[in-house]
Amino acid sequence: MDLGLQGKKAIVVGGARGIGFEVAQILAREGCDIALTARSEDSVKDAVAELGKYGTRIVGKPVNVKSADEYKAWLEWAIEELDGVDILIPISSAGGGMGSEKYWHNNFEVDVLGPVRAVEVVMPHMEEQGSGSIVLISTTSAGEAMGGPQAYNAMKASLITWGKQLALHHGRNGVRVNVVSPGPIEFEGGNWDMIKGTMEKFYNSQLRQHPAGRLGKPEEVARCIVFLASPAAEWCNGSNLVVDGAYTNRTQF
Amino acid sequence: MDVKREQKIERVDPAEWPDGTPAEKAEDPDLGYDIIPAARYTSEDFMKLEWEHVWTKVWLLGGRSCDIPEPGDYICTEIGKESVLIVRQADGSVRAFPNVCLHRGNRLRPEGLGNAEHFQCMYHHWTYDWSGKITRIPDMDTFPQGCPKGAALPPLPCEEWGSFVWFSLNRDVEPLSDFLGMIPQHLDPYHMERMAWVRDVTVEWDCNWKASVDAFSEVYHVQGIHPQLQWYLDDTSAQIDVYDKHSRYLVPFAAISARVAMPSAIPPAIDGIMRAAGMDPAEYEGRVGDIRRDVQRFKREHGPEQGKDYSDLNDDQLTDDYHYTIFPNVSLNVHADDVMMFRQRPHATDPNKMLYDIWVLELMPDGEEWPERPKHRRFAHGDKSIGQVLDQDAFNLPTVQKGMHSDSFPGLWIGDQELRIRHFHKVLDDYIYGPGGKKPGDI
Repeated sequence: MDLGLQGKKAIVVGGARGIGFEVAQILAREGCDIALTARSEDSVKDAVAELGKYGTRIVGKPVNVKSADEYKAWLEWAIEELDGVDILIPISSAGGGMGSEKYWHNNFEVDVLGPVRAVEVVMPHMEEQGSGSIVLISTTSAGEAMGGPQAYNAMKASLITWGKQLALHHGRNGVRVNVVSPGPIEFEGGNWDMIKGTMEKFYNSQLRQHPAGRLGKPEEVARCIVFLASPAAEWCNGSNLVVDGAYTNRTQF
Repeated sequence: MDVKREQKIERVDPAEWPDGTPAEKAEDPDLGYDIIPAARYTSEDFMKLEWEHVWTKVWLLGGRSCDIPEPGDYICTEIGKESVLIVRQADGSVRAFPNVCLHRGNRLRPEGLGNAEHFQCMYHHWTYDWSGKITRIPDMDTFPQGCPKGAALPPLPCEEWGSFVWFSLNRDVEPLSDFLGMIPQHLDPYHMERMAWVRDVTVEWDCNWKASVDAFSEVYHVQGIHPQLQWYLDDTSAQIDVYDKHSRYLVPFAAISARVAMPSAIPPAIDGIMRAAGMDPAEYEGRVGDIRRDVQRFKREHGPEQGKDYSDLNDDQLTDDYHYTIFPNVSLNVHADDVMMFRQRPHATDPNKMLYDIWVLELMPDGEEWPERPKHRRFAHGDKSIGQVLDQDAFNLPTVQKGMHSDSFPGLWIGDQELRIRHFHKVLDDYIYGPGGKKPGDI
């Protein structure tokens, strides 16, 4: 199946590691030009260098999503560098945490306003060209309890609601918006890698909950994100795709 | 080393901190690569040599000065077959004498703390004063041979340093300061006298006391038994320094081991370090790799308002583990805000057993009332948890001791990360066989 991604222009916010990097890698392999960012200059440099091997145009600069002006300037820069934008995947997250009100601000600024600001910048370009695809990244923790009452879970949940409404509102102008909700994903340097090392019993209890007896891998989520982002998923709009190896219990009626 | 990343840990420049704990790397001595014979851990003969040449010759840790503030307060502590009374005198000094009635050999007091007007034997009421002098023998007229020689329990050397009381079974021992050598210069800046007891536990372990000293003399075992600590400290960046008798290693805390990938989220244990310092991890904008430095800066800036005077410590000491061994048997994890130390005592008769004392002290903010002293608890290994990390340390020791008896195990195969173990055994040899006196065939 041809995903129809050849020559598309994609922006990946949080594309230097984990799921974001795998998304960028698959997009590059499928022939997309890519602008990516992350907070760390070194990791952006490494990611840009690594993705160059697929022969498409790859650009990147570090930016802190929390700095609204710099972030918007980065988005404008990315669109200019790519000479347009067809795909937006904002995946940066402030992560979890409990015990400080500050976590609410962090998750609001990064997990919610990160995508909001990016959508605001790309939407006029996409509507003008009459096509575009946006994939927001939520979490299975939005739908099922995980890790205690955290701002992360609640803020990520808001993306599912907002994503559907974006789809309804912008669909007539050819812009699709979908959501992917991954379950626990393990990769080197990721949270679950650390949990495996620091809380072995809890980690093993999670493995037992998975029908497959393991956690997910970044590329397994990234392939689903890329599919929804691609023209091959033309009829998917306003959906929330749970990608968790059947980790969660609820049925998706 | 098996690492995932190259990591350069920033350390203080020793030249910038001339007055406090010396931070310089000491030159490593060439101690060779010989096997350390397993028989040292199992032989009753070797145990006797240790008693004769070490335990009855060196200074030994007896207790804490803050436990005996008033005249008549005493610490009764045991080492091997001996029991010793350490008593605060009316003039504020400390004296020590054997805890044994000169009449029929009864112990005057059980092990522990107390206050006494005098020490009266529970058997026939022979009575001794705070200095060990006999003050009363009931029916003295029925002892035509008179009083035992000197009419007193023979005094033992006893001195105080570093908030601790020390004693020796050797009446000709050198002054405590000579024995401690570089230790006061290294540890005085921590002001342990400002630290209160928070834990006082003794665990009976089924291993030789040296297996325990060995266990706390290297961080090579972190990757083996404490995988979780790799997101708390960098075990691949320890600075090892061995001195005359004593030794140390310096391990960066609030750091990530180079053996694992650098995470982007703050690990729970480092989150705990930040909170303990008064930081809000949720407010932290830096990278995980910068946390150690930023905790140091934060504590330097906010210590005074928290009633914590870190002025004698260098920046690394505000986060790192400065781990010392005071020969022969005291291992101290020394930190700016706390000390977790172990006193490792041999069993009286069995080389396969020991007593593992855990003492935890915590810096009390200036002007704050000290918490009630925790009661001493004693139990056998496995009966109770002593915390995740120490449980992990304790887990292997009984099977290590069993393996020491195997005909197929000649002895310890020690690597460079375990230099302190090799040094410890070299100092032990110097005591037992005399400096350089160990001959082929000696274990």
